[in-house]
Amino acid sequence: MPVLQNVSPNGLSKKLRSSPQCVVLVALLLGVSLLAVPGDVIAQVDGQVVYNQWCAGCHGEDGAGAGPAANTMLPRPRDFTLALYQVRTTSSGELPTDADMLKVINEGMPGTAMPGWEGVLTEAERLALVDYLKTFSRFFQGDPPTPLDFGRATSGGADAIARGEEVYQMVECWRCHGEQGRGDGESAPTLNDDTGFPIFAADLTENWRFNGGGEVGEIYRVLRTGLDGTPMPTFSDIVDAGVITDEDLWSLAHYVRSLSPEDEPEVREVVTAKLLTDTPLPQTVADVVWEGTERFYVPLSGQIVVQPRWFNPRVDAVWVQAVHDGRELALLVSWGDPSESPDTLWTDFGGQVVTTMGSEDEGAATGSGTADQLVVQFPQELYEGQERPYFLQGDTRRPAYTWTWQSDIAGAFESIARGMGTAARQPDSEQHVRATAQHADGEWKVLFVRPLDTEGAEDLALTAGQAVPMAFQAWDGDNGESGSQGAVSTWYFLVLGQPTPVAVYVAPPVALALTLLFGLLVVRQAQMGSGMWREPDAAARAKRAAKRRQLAGMAVGVIWLGMAFGSYQNSRAGWEAGYADLGFWWAIIGGLLAIAGLGALIGTWIHTRTSK
Amino acid sequence: MIEKCGELRNTALLLGVFVIAGCGGGDGGGDAAGAADAAPAESPVDAATAGNVAGMVTFSGTAPMMAEINMGSEATCAAKHSTTPTEEGFVGGENGGLANVFVYVKEGLESLSFPTPTSAVVLNQDGCTYRPHVLGAQVGQDITLRNSDGLLHNINASPTENRGFNVSQPVNMDTNRSFPVAEVMVPVRCDVHGWMNSYIGVVDHPYFAVSSPDGSVSLDGLPPGDYVIEAWHEQLGTMTSNVTVTTGGTTEISFEFTEAMAGSPVPMGEPIDLLHPDGHQAVDH
Amino acid sequence: MGALKSVFRLLGAPFRLINSVMGRFLNTPFRQATAVFLFACGLIEVGIPFIPPLFGMPSAPVPNTVVLEYLVIALVGILLWVSDNEERWSEFKQPIHDVLVRPDRRIARGALFVIVPALVAAQTYFSAQPDISAPPSFRAIHPAPPSAITFQGEQMVLDGLENPLRSTGLLEEHYEEGKRVYYQNCLACHGDGLQGRGHYAQIFNPQPINFQDVGTIAMLTESFVFWRIAKGGPGLPNEGTPWNSAMPAWEDFLTADEIWSVIIFLYEQTGHDPRTWEVEGEEH
Repeated sequence: MPVLQNVSPNGLSKKLRSSPQCVVLVALLLGVSLLAVPGDVIAQVDGQVVYNQWCAGCHGEDGAGAGPAANTMLPRPRDFTLALYQVRTTSSGELPTDADMLKVINEGMPGTAMPGWEGVLTEAERLALVDYLKTFSRFFQGDPPTPLDFGRATSGGADAIARGEEVYQMVECWRCHGEQGRGDGESAPTLNDDTGFPIFAADLTENWRFNGGGEVGEIYRVLRTGLDGTPMPTFSDIVDAGVITDEDLWSLAHYVRSLSPEDEPEVREVVTAKLLTDTPLPQTVADVVWEGTERFYVPLSGQIVVQPRWFNPRVDAVWVQAVHDGRELALLVSWGDPSESPDTLWTDFGGQVVTTMGSEDEGAATGSGTADQLVVQFPQELYEGQERPYFLQGDTRRPAYTWTWQSDIAGAFESIARGMGTAARQPDSEQHVRATAQHADGEWKVLFVRPLDTEGAEDLALTAGQAVPMAFQAWDGDNGESGSQGAVSTWYFLVLGQPTPVAVYVAPPVALALTLLFGLLVVRQAQMGSGMWREPDAAARAKRAAKRRQLAGMAVGVIWLGMAFGSYQNSRAGWEAGYADLGFWWAIIGGLLAIAGLGALIGTWIHTRTSK
Repeated sequence: MIEKCGELRNTALLLGVFVIAGCGGGDGGGDAAGAADAAPAESPVDAATAGNVAGMVTFSGTAPMMAEINMGSEATCAAKHSTTPTEEGFVGGENGGLANVFVYVKEGLESLSFPTPTSAVVLNQDGCTYRPHVLGAQVGQDITLRNSDGLLHNINASPTENRGFNVSQPVNMDTNRSFPVAEVMVPVRCDVHGWMNSYIGVVDHPYFAVSSPDGSVSLDGLPPGDYVIEAWHEQLGTMTSNVTVTTGGTTEISFEFTEAMAGSPVPMGEPIDLLHPDGHQAVDH
Repeated sequence: MGALKSVFRLLGAPFRLINSVMGRFLNTPFRQATAVFLFACGLIEVGIPFIPPLFGMPSAPVPNTVVLEYLVIALVGILLWVSDNEERWSEFKQPIHDVLVRPDRRIARGALFVIVPALVAAQTYFSAQPDISAPPSFRAIHPAPPSAITFQGEQMVLDGLENPLRSTGLLEEHYEEGKRVYYQNCLACHGDGLQGRGHYAQIFNPQPINFQDVGTIAMLTESFVFWRIAKGGPGLPNEGTPWNSAMPAWEDFLTADEIWSVIIFLYEQTGHDPRTWEVEGEEH
């Protein structure tokens, strides 16, 4: 029997990761387990065995960072034989401390393929790994390195951020990271890491992807230590030389932090388009309406489902905003892309990326320099139930209806697609979508406008209040992306806001009046001494009490048993769906309910029997 | 630049002074013998018995064309060059002389240990180029990284025998670094300006030099004995020569690089060795 | 002995405190019921997340429906207790009655008249707002496999099919080959830990399968796993929402032997055993 499962992306598994209780608990348990594991037990774990089983697939058994998966990754896996480590608390060029290495093993490197191993390997295994990694380079045979003194963090605030911005200009971070921090500086296209692979300047507006961590202290640490093996240098020397103060460096860290949202953006399944009643629909990307319109974060991944695949997408997410005025929909899509492709400054970089990611897939790109592209995808029609086109531009039975924008063509066009790369442009008479685009400071903003109902037979009609599946795909031509080699999302929903229903204004006063009336009745009854407030005589009271008890007991027992059965069903569904937590909770609830229900029944039986 | 050269000139021997277009003066490896001289009291070499090695580094064949550097984005730097600057992977001079060849005693000095010079050698960033392009330093000797451009440079050294560094210099300033282990050569690059690169040869004695544009090179004050001298070029690879030094004499030496050597392997420090102290092999199925 | 006594006295201190609090403040059934209810609320909201780790499971915030259900149980229990004894029932009602009747409680009564209807009205207001949540989505996790498939153009009977690599060559070699295939193809979604947490995993909905979980490959036959790998998302029946699954149809990329070897890798790396046909047969 197929088991049904609710697959909301905001489900439990998501909560699980972000739960603060969870973190505290894990920390506590870890603390305890550290105390409980004596040193000699740790020593017994063979780091090499752990390494070969879990790390060698990417880093290679010889530690040179060239395992089987290495070709699908940029940045490449760390080459341990060079002993160059990015995340350190030590000076530029120095070795990391054991704690530094353990931190990366535990937490992974955000923005790269390196995951955190805390939940997979035991503490002893992870410590053994640290020791084993050090055997790949003779540099570790010397004295252990001394961590830098990072002093005390400054408090931040508007002043610090303002000062930080000055420092950003003064120490010329913008040369690589760009004026707005989106990694679009003039030197960005020429960057290589120490092993000669092309490397991006970090997009400072996405601190959840900083590979040394995105909080102020972590940013400061990177400024002090640099990221060895990459073009990111240390700024310690200019503090020592008195060019800027340590406080300035903290301010810079505060400023960089302020470029990203306060919290990592949440992925929400539904994009809502606000109904504009008294403002005209925005016709430009710079319209003031967008400042007050909610932004929805849609993360993208490389298209690795159909041939040829792409493992190195430049666009890691798009931000979506939508409004409508009852006649037309305006959809603004923004995303970070350092260049307006094709840009000759980036030609070499894209060529290097294509070479580096050299794919054996059929039809893989051999060069770079095509246009940037964005596709917004809808179903051609809304199906009964939850049926939709395949998320990669539809399938033969359920075509997708797409809007395509390209940086080398003005406007956008509508197509019908029956699979990745099969999009067929609709005839000009059926073209209804308009688009305007702007590229500034490493960001594309593309505005699509289309009538809600085009009256075209092949176009999806949009109705307020209805959830319409929507997906996004993006290509950066200067990163060697084209065809099926780009970034994709799965399905989201677009819901057009509707005028506030009358019920919103009517229902609350009615509820208020009814409640008030009920309250008055209860008080009146109490004051008159009638109903449940009446004091019956002793015999009637006893009889009534007995009867009530028996009825209540039986009813409660039956209800609880029913609920227990429901819980059991839920629990089983949870386990089978792979949501162990759901299964667990419902099992506990079911167990308690069953005990309580049986207890109530038996208790009632015993009670009424003895009282007879 | 002039002052810097003057400072270096007060050392006893200057191997080569040459003019680089637009720079108004520069130095090849003039610091080498000076370094030996910096602490004569501690030197294990008796100057009275020493001899010299001198000669030419030449190139025969068609010199490769060096690409022009587009400094359009850096007006300050572009203004410091009177002609369009080119990349410096190959700099030839008159009469077939080959510049920027690092010449040093590779073998023959193992039994001697030399004091670390107290004076620093300078790697100057001027006009968005490294001056000099090839630099020699002794183990432990301070290397002053100098920014004379007043705009952001980063000095990213990636040795294999030593630990590297990657230092930012957003303003005119000096930063000192040194290498504790001999290594020929340590590549240095600037990530902000993709065209900027340089090489530092680190050796544990004072007998090294960088050929001047006319190809001339000399190693002075060597104790009498047999030596292996190596010449290193960033595109043509290495050549070695066996010489015998006699008291008071000057032994002739010559290195003839040829067109055919282009593309031959250029050593950069020793290959990484994998040591597994617990007896594991790197690959073990 | 004296020392023992003082130890006992010390141990008893908190209980005496509770006793005195009980005596002073919790001296009516109404107050006791309220206290028990508030205590239950606190316990359910804060305490329960600490239970799963005792059984070696990850903790999680308690779902709202569960909290509500627990609270209802607690409330029903409390009401049963106060109404079980007629005297206690009257005593319990007394303060409520007082508020409703006594002239000197007029202010409290008035406040209730304002607060309760206001809360109800607010609740109505929020529930009357148009619903903009996504339509519910359901999918079959383990849809029934077909008895035979066409693999790269050739008929392949899945019923009773065993992994052919288990009877040829060295398991170790198949594992190594499977590891290569996995790391080059599966890693980005299913992750190095095989927990479905690759660096692309979070983008997809449904999320990639966690092979470490006992509810996945451990309860499937190798032929089922082969079918899922070979045909991927597009090969799912409609109840499996094939339009959402990012699982590629690997027959377009890999040979049969590569798929069989990656299956061996999955079981070896996780330490799970595949379900065998004998067991399957017994259960049917």
